[in-house]
Parts: sequence; C-alpha cells; structure tokens
Amino acid sequence: MKQTPRKKAEIVLPMIVILIFLLIWYSITYFKLVPAYQMPGIADVAKSFKEEVMAGRLANDVIASMWRVTVGFVISAILGIPAGLWLGQHTRLRYALTPMFNFFRFLSPLAWIPFAILWFHIGDKPAVFLIFMATFFPLAMSTMTAVASIPSIYFRVAKDYNYKGTELLTKVTFPAVLPQIITAMRVSYGIAWVVIVAAEMVGCQDGLGYGIWDARNGLRLDTAVTYMVIIGVLGMLMDRLLSQLTKLRNVRWGYER
Amino acid sequence: MKLTMGKLMIGVVLFIAVIGLLRFHPWSQKSAVADKKDVVHEGPNNDARRSLTVGYLPVTCHLTCPVTDFASKTTKTSTNFNSQRFTDFPTVVDALKAKQVQATFMIAPLAMKLREDGAPVKICYLGHRDGSEIIIRKDIQATSLRDLKGKTLALPSFYSNQNLVIHKLMEDQGMQPNDINFVILPPPDMPTSLAAKAIDGYFVGEPHCAKAELLGIGKVLYLARDIWPNFVSCVLVVHEDLIKEKPDVVKDLVRGIAESGKWAEDHRAEAAKLAAPYFRQDQKVLNYVLTSSPHRVSYAQLTPTDAEFQQIQDMAIKMGILKKRLPISDYMDRDFIPQTIVAAPIPVDKIPDKN
Repeated sequence: MKQTPRKKAEIVLPMIVILIFLLIWYSITYFKLVPAYQMPGIADVAKSFKEEVMAGRLANDVIASMWRVTVGFVISAILGIPAGLWLGQHTRLRYALTPMFNFFRFLSPLAWIPFAILWFHIGDKPAVFLIFMATFFPLAMSTMTAVASIPSIYFRVAKDYNYKGTELLTKVTFPAVLPQIITAMRVSYGIAWVVIVAAEMVGCQDGLGYGIWDARNGLRLDTAVTYMVIIGVLGMLMDRLLSQLTKLRNVRWGYER
Repeated sequence: MKLTMGKLMIGVVLFIAVIGLLRFHPWSQKSAVADKKDVVHEGPNNDARRSLTVGYLPVTCHLTCPVTDFASKTTKTSTNFNSQRFTDFPTVVDALKAKQVQATFMIAPLAMKLREDGAPVKICYLGHRDGSEIIIRKDIQATSLRDLKGKTLALPSFYSNQNLVIHKLMEDQGMQPNDINFVILPPPDMPTSLAAKAIDGYFVGEPHCAKAELLGIGKVLYLARDIWPNFVSCVLVVHEDLIKEKPDVVKDLVRGIAESGKWAEDHRAEAAKLAAPYFRQDQKVLNYVLTSSPHRVSYAQLTPTDAEFQQIQDMAIKMGILKKRLPISDYMDRDFIPQTIVAAPIPVDKIPDKN
C-alpha cells in the first residue's frame, strides 16, 4: 500500500512538467514572441509528424537508427567487456594499453566520419562503425577499472576454494563487477544514442539524424523538430528499459547496499 | 517473475532479431526498404535494361538530375536513372571515391580539386548556368559591392564558385580582399542568420536565396550573371571506371540531362512541381526560383568550354584553392555530348501532385 502514492507521483509530476513545457512553447509561438521561421509552432510540428508517419518515412528512420545503435552497441559489448575483464586481471598489460585506450576514448567518434565513409561506404556499416568507436573504449575502460578495484580479499578467498582460470572469472570476477558493467552499459548506450544522430547526418540515406539534416536542407524546421521529439522520447524509453537490468537477481546486491 | 541472466539473453537476441527483420524485410521482393523509399516516382518504362544512380543535392542547380530520373521512367530510354539525394558535398565526394555513386552533380572547383588530387573523375557536362545570387538584408542601402565595405557576407564553402566569383567582383570594383568579412555557413542557415542580423548578406545557390526573399528579409543585390555571364556552378562528374566500362550509359546520362534541361527551360512551373517531392521542399519556393525571372537560373548551353574553365582555374589558383595548372582536357570529357538536343518528351499530365 505504501508504494501507490509514490508510483502516482512518479507519473503525475513528470506529466505536469511536460504540460508546462508545452504551454510555454505554445505561448511563445502563439503570441509571436519570436518569428515563425525561428521557432515552429506545435500545430506545424504535429502536422509534419502526421506527414512523416503517413509517408512511412518515420517508421523506416526509427528502425534504421535502432538497428545501427543495437548492432554497434552489441558488438562493442561483446568485444569490450571481455577485453576489460582480461586487461583488469593483467597488471602489465593494463599499464601497456591504458594510454592507447585513453587516446582513442577521447577522440570524438565524429572525427572518424570521413574514414567511416571511405572504409565502409554509405549505409548501415559506417554508422555501426561509429557507434562501435564511441562505445567500445568507454566500456572496456570502465570494465577494466572495475576489475582492478575488486578487493583483494575476494581473490584470497577464491584461492582457498582453489578457483582458477575460467572458474575464477565466472564465479568471482564477473559477478563482482557486474553492477559497474551495467552502469557503464547504460552510460555508453546514452553515448551511442547521441552519436547515432550526428553520425547519420552524413553518409546515410535514412535514419533519425538524416531526417533532421534532410529537413534542414529542405528548409523545413517543423519536420526537424518532429525528429528531435522522436529522438528524445526513444532515448528516454531505452534508458527505462536498460535500468531494468539493475533488477537482475545476480546484481541486486550492487544496488541495495 | 524474476529477471535472470538467461531471460535477459533471450530478450536481447529477440530484440535484435525483430529489429533486423523490420530493417531488412527478408520476406519482400524489394532488396531493401531504404531503396524503395528513395524511388520517388515509379514509371512504366520497362524497356530499360540497365540503371544508374546519380547523386545530387536538393538545390535548383541540380534540378536536371530528378528531371532526368523522372524522364527515364516515363519516356522511352534504354537506361533507368535513379537520383540519390545527398545532403552535403563531403559525403558526395566520399561516395564517389568509394564508387558508391559513379556519377554525381558537384560544384566545379571541388571537381577540379578532386582531379588535381588524383581522383579518377571527369567533368562530362554542366548542370545549369547562373542560379546564384548575392542577397543582402532589406534595410541595407547598397547598389554595388563597394557599399558592403566592412560588412559580413556568408559563403557556402571555401571551394565554392561563389567564393571565386565574389573575389573577381571585388577586384573589378577595386576593392581589397579584406574589405568584406567572409564567413562560411551551411546554406540552410543563411536565411535565418540574415533574419537574425548575424550576417549582412550571403552569396549562394538557389533556393536559399528565394527563401530570404519570400520571408521578406532579403533582397537581391546581384544575379550571378551580372557578375560573371554564363556563370558555371555545378557540373556533372563521372567516375573514369564508368566511362571505360559503360560508355553507353554515360552517353545516355549526358543526353538525358541535356534533354531534361531543354524541357525544364520551357516548362519551369512543371519542373518545380516535378522536383518538389524529390527535393522534399516547398513547391512554392522552387516555383518562385524558376518562374519569377528567367535570369535567375538557366538550363540551356550546358556544354562547357575551355575558355570558361581556364578562367575558373586561373581564379582558383590565384586564390590558392588549386595548386597546379593542368590542361583543361585533363578535367574534361566532352565526347558524350549529343550534337542535337530535343526537349525530353515528359508527359506533363503524369507529374503527380504531391504537395
């Protein structure tokens, strides 16, 4: 019974904020505080939303972007997390590779755009490559740091149980760092979603980022706003989904300290 | 129901599978949704055995590209042309280098720069003549470029012809290169920057000039032809591999563009209606560009001459955009230009009303 009022507040309060936001937006355009070409009105945006849905472009663009992000992100998780686990356990290797990883981590993925197009041409591949470049290094680095900071007592106990190799990895190391890995995944998924929009602005023929760029070229700011709204809403939903991971049975301990 | 690792993995795999299926439609005959989306008009032309994708940007300088696309599908031709819309020149260049498109429209100095850098491309034809204007804010009293001393003017790119032409004009009017402050802006941002008074004027291709006029924030100071008669801005660039491997297709393409140009020259309002869904732009703006004055843009005399490209090269070398002086024949391949040009027999009543 205690849960109900809290749940209600969780829904009602954000709704109020959104309504206020819409109201401000509406009044700005209604009272013409700024000229129409600087800020499209809600009605125009709704109209272009309908247009994009009817033409089938919106659904196609959403799927294109989701596909690129998912594939890029899954590849970097499959490669990055094991890499991080491995590096975390080998001190010398960690010393050797950390500067290089940091170098790549701080390169904006957008700097890779010309090479992405040259190497992977146009379509899904360059975008997937950019997503990979944006998320692999942060994921590997945070996994590595998490492994390196496991209290040594865990390993001493593991030694008493005579855990070695794979057993040590699956029974001690991995469970110990899982909560940090999930947090790192949430953060890098956020990066991926931000990067996809910029990545699709060049070298793509569909996708949400392309939609914004194309609308801009077509001198249609109302359509651009439509796409912005979609990107924000989808990002929000995705994060909601990923936050469910914290409810995994094996990692709940990490959040209930 | 507790969430476990196993269920999570199944969920992830399912999610990827569903998105993948939605993305690639393996059950449908069409190769990819994206391709289908790009086809604006599907025509009854079943004679064409081969097809070619041609790149363009949604600017009136590239109008003949969608017209050729439409013509190849509604009239009898032996090649189907699909026009692929790009949003910026750097992507076009990368796509051309990677042979994703083997023919595309492009600004002339950029094509020459590509050639100078050793890219195997040739200029086969022109896209249009004129098509650019110097627009200034409505409240500025100016009758010549000299009146813009100390003002800020936006250009689309360092490699644009506009950059060359405006420097020629400044020279002609006895001005120093730093008398005007130049800034590089993406064309779609120019009308809004002008309205916000961030710039005093700009020099770019249509329809970004017409937009400022229609919004009531800018006026034309010079048409391109007032400065540089028969102004050349965009050219048709073809990859040398295509020229070697499929000369017939290139021949069809150049003829298609020539005939489309001739048609568009005499059917301006219809051309605006035809191009609007390709460009995804407001038909009103395109219509204004094409019909308000025949001097704004022209699609006749599209054969490039040595003299005019020599002039572009000289200017570009002087400005440091190009480095080497190459013989014009290195840039150009004029073998595909037809002797006689008749207007493409586009059925006007078949142009769908999509706006």
